[in-house]
Amino acid sequence: MQRSNQWIPYVLLVAALLLLAFHETGILSPLESSLGFIIAPVEQLVANITDSLSKLLFNVKDVSDLQQQVAKLEQDNEALRIENIRLREQYVVENQQLRELLNFQSENPTYSTVGGDIVEHGCEVFPCGQVLGKDTNPYLRYLIINIGSRAGIAVGMPVVSSGAALVGRIARVSPHLAYVRQINDTDNEIAALLQNSRVSGMVVGKSNGALLMTEILPDEELRENEIAITSGLGGLLPKGLILGQLESHTYQEAELFQEAVLRPAIDFHRLETVLVITDFRHPTIEDLEAE
Amino acid sequence: MSLYFGVPILMLSAVLQSVVIENVEIFGGRPDLVLLLVITWTIIRGLNEGMIWGFIGGLCCDLLSGGDFGLWTISLTLATFVAGQPWIHTLGPTSMRLALMSTLGTLLGHTIFLSLMSMRGSPVNIAQAYAHTVGPAALLNFILSPFAFIFLVWFHQRSLQRG
Repeated sequence: MQRSNQWIPYVLLVAALLLLAFHETGILSPLESSLGFIIAPVEQLVANITDSLSKLLFNVKDVSDLQQQVAKLEQDNEALRIENIRLREQYVVENQQLRELLNFQSENPTYSTVGGDIVEHGCEVFPCGQVLGKDTNPYLRYLIINIGSRAGIAVGMPVVSSGAALVGRIARVSPHLAYVRQINDTDNEIAALLQNSRVSGMVVGKSNGALLMTEILPDEELRENEIAITSGLGGLLPKGLILGQLESHTYQEAELFQEAVLRPAIDFHRLETVLVITDFRHPTIEDLEAE
Repeated sequence: MSLYFGVPILMLSAVLQSVVIENVEIFGGRPDLVLLLVITWTIIRGLNEGMIWGFIGGLCCDLLSGGDFGLWTISLTLATFVAGQPWIHTLGPTSMRLALMSTLGTLLGHTIFLSLMSMRGSPVNIAQAYAHTVGPAALLNFILSPFAFIFLVWFHQRSLQRG
């Protein structure tokens, strides 16, 4: 019996290799989707049970009350902080830029100028997803959320937390699940801007989960605690989403650029609910010409 | 025959890995539940059944990963292929083989996984991966291996009674 089944290991090895090869071509998408149908409810069920159990463990009334109060205060604090950042972005910086434009006009009275807004397409945040779990690949920083292609989710869509903090982008979808590549994954590169000084750079993920802002010109002056936001350059992400806060910076004379370590705006371990921006579209040249 | 309970066990352990274990940190790392179960099953039932479990366990892990589909399947199938080799039986009593293979199997599984990732162009910091992920996972799988063994031997005996 054992002798007649000697081919099994080799068939399995070949099948495993073929899986990886065929994944590239996309032939396996229907199979991956069908298997996803089976595993998604199990993931949802276990996530709900785990959630209920963890709540049950902290069921002493006082602790629960205190937890609620702390959670509410944290929520209020976060909302106020984010509101503050957004208002600063919207009014203070805009005000400063308009003043600079006026200064330019008064300093150069011979020029005739026409004002223009920077066009950005509206981003309406729609589907709300519950974070079910983390990637089983320990070398990637992905989240699994309980909405997928059935809810209109597609690869590349930006994902934000309850404020305006960027969580990441959709990397893979199945009918009922979506896999979000976090901003601190090592494969990520995001065009960023420091909110007050308008210093630009690229934010990349480090293997220890930290965020690093690179490609900052050496003559730029960096101040700690400045907020880093998405610059919108490249068109993959909307402008103005919060990435983190500048913690420290380094520059060595032999290097071409400065580097800054950012404190992520999100605690990825505590993230429970996210929003997916489904209709973000960068304006094309044709769109701008049509306007 | 073992697939009647093997598939649900492996699916549930992959989900537990994703939902619960990835949020817990012990000795600076996490155990690798699916890898531990498939290696233990290989020690109990031999090469063929172990590899079938490795293949299915890998599929379950790949379904809960945003990375390349198939990386876990290849890694677990190859790890069980090594753990099921006849020469492993010459290494001593079951407890010795279990302790050895739960540790070495974890190291091997992750080494294959990391090699495949870097071959496919993913940025992998090997030193950090061994220090913070592979090392703690091997140690924790070694500690948990007796529990996995007791759990799976129970199913093994049930399946023998049915068979």
